[in-house]
Amino acid sequence: MIEAQNLTRRFGAFTAVDGVSFAVGEGEIVGMLGPNGAGKTTTIRMLTGFLPPTTGRVTLGGKDLFGDDVAVRREIGYLPENVALYPELRVDEYLVWRGRLEGMDRAAIRRRLPEIVERCLLGDVRRQIIGTLSKGYRQRVGLAGAILHDPKVLVLDEPTVGLDPKQIIAIRELIRELGRGHTLLVSTHILPEVELLCGRVLIIDRGQIVAEGSPESLRERWQGAFGVTIEFAEPAAGQHEALAALAGVETVTPDHEPPHRFTLACAKGSDPRAEIFRLAVERGWTLVELAPARASLEDVFVRLTTRDTGTATAAPEIEEVAS
Amino acid sequence: MNGMLAVARRELKAYFFSPLAYIVLTFFLLVQGWTFAIIVSYLSNPQFPAGKPLELFFGQTIFTWLVLIFTGTFLTMRLISEELRSGTIETLMTSPVSEAQVVVGKYLAALVFYLFLWAPTLIYVVVIRAFTPVDWGPIAASYVGIAGIGALFLSVGVFASAMSKNQIVAAIVTFSCLLVLFSIGLMENLVQGELWKQVLGHLNLWTHMDDFAKGIVDTRRLVYYASATALFLFLTTRALQAKKWR
Repeated sequence: MIEAQNLTRRFGAFTAVDGVSFAVGEGEIVGMLGPNGAGKTTTIRMLTGFLPPTTGRVTLGGKDLFGDDVAVRREIGYLPENVALYPELRVDEYLVWRGRLEGMDRAAIRRRLPEIVERCLLGDVRRQIIGTLSKGYRQRVGLAGAILHDPKVLVLDEPTVGLDPKQIIAIRELIRELGRGHTLLVSTHILPEVELLCGRVLIIDRGQIVAEGSPESLRERWQGAFGVTIEFAEPAAGQHEALAALAGVETVTPDHEPPHRFTLACAKGSDPRAEIFRLAVERGWTLVELAPARASLEDVFVRLTTRDTGTATAAPEIEEVAS
Repeated sequence: MNGMLAVARRELKAYFFSPLAYIVLTFFLLVQGWTFAIIVSYLSNPQFPAGKPLELFFGQTIFTWLVLIFTGTFLTMRLISEELRSGTIETLMTSPVSEAQVVVGKYLAALVFYLFLWAPTLIYVVVIRAFTPVDWGPIAASYVGIAGIGALFLSVGVFASAMSKNQIVAAIVTFSCLLVLFSIGLMENLVQGELWKQVLGHLNLWTHMDDFAKGIVDTRRLVYYASATALFLFLTTRALQAKKWR
């Protein structure tokens, strides 16, 4: 449906996006994940026709987005990161304006408006002046404006940022619902959001796609070590060493609080849980917790986007406790 | 086309929803009323030479120019700079409207509001008409001049407004440009050389307006306003397009 071919965007000497290529198929929900400043918004601005790429192109259903025909943009509904609205207008006035801008006629707008207002939970603020609305409502007005003309592709840049938990749930629900029948590209740096919403994930870092796939496949592919979390009832001498000596255990990381709680990283394919249980029985240590720690998408994300790969963030902690 | 009208309508609404428009409207009418009152009381004093009040109202005084330059600045300073500042430009530029449509739409809104500002001055014509017969030709010509020069001034303002996110910067740039545009013709009498005198003479807005007020409509001048307006709107479109590349 929408395809980015080798997109590069430079701002002066700084390369914000560097040779990004991907496609979003019809009906797909794709999440774009990346730390702040990774180039997500720049990529999205190129995909929506706001920012022309330095090199590369964007096509929508085969048509070039930066060609002479601005009508192509009608197929895209876009919710920018900072939802900017006209504060002096009322909510319904704004939405009517958006409809006109997208080339809808009066009758079509009148037909569509009540449905959109209801879907975006704007019923009670319809006649309110936008300048007086809270951030959550503004976000929803922006979203309503983006879907009003029923575009084929929806691009949402950080749709839940700055919302309270209740609003986040409402917006997510709405996005999930929109995913049925729309092609959707959502950018976010909130990981659970991606796991909840998206069938496919692009991880972007320093302007490049560093990983791509379904949340499950990414987890599987990047799940290096099987982890186990254990906690003893009380500390005892030799716990750390005994755990480290077990077959298949690669590293043992004690928690700060309490000190008799450990996270073990295990070699691929090994599962020392039975061994741990036996060890505890043997030494007379009471186990109060023994749980597998599955690598979350968060781990994958951190691993892929941390500059000094993986251990850099964990290492200082170990030393601190050991000393 | 629809997109352009949508932009123009929203912009007009924005004028009436913002205090700025009412302040401009109020002071515009105060200044115009004051000017008109001065002219009428001046002419009704038998010590002073006789004259036509409406001719003086539109031409021959600095008041017209003060009003034109200030309204040209205040009506346009917000137009594009506010979109750049608040980020609403992103919505505009990702919808199926071109830069040119946005620029022309906004310009049209400013022009309509500008003409709306001048509309109440028709009352002065009615007032004068109550006491003395009026010659309609020069009055119509005066309004043509007001519309033409106003159209040009507004296009300069729209252009300046696309140059900065800051309304104040846009206002200062517009004000300076309009001052230059207005006064360059006044240099006519200061420069040496026949060619320069002629060129500047053609650009002398002061004589333009004087002539309009006397009922002289020179189409060359209208062509000047129209082409300069088109040029500034074109430059504005280019400026908006160029913004994307930075």
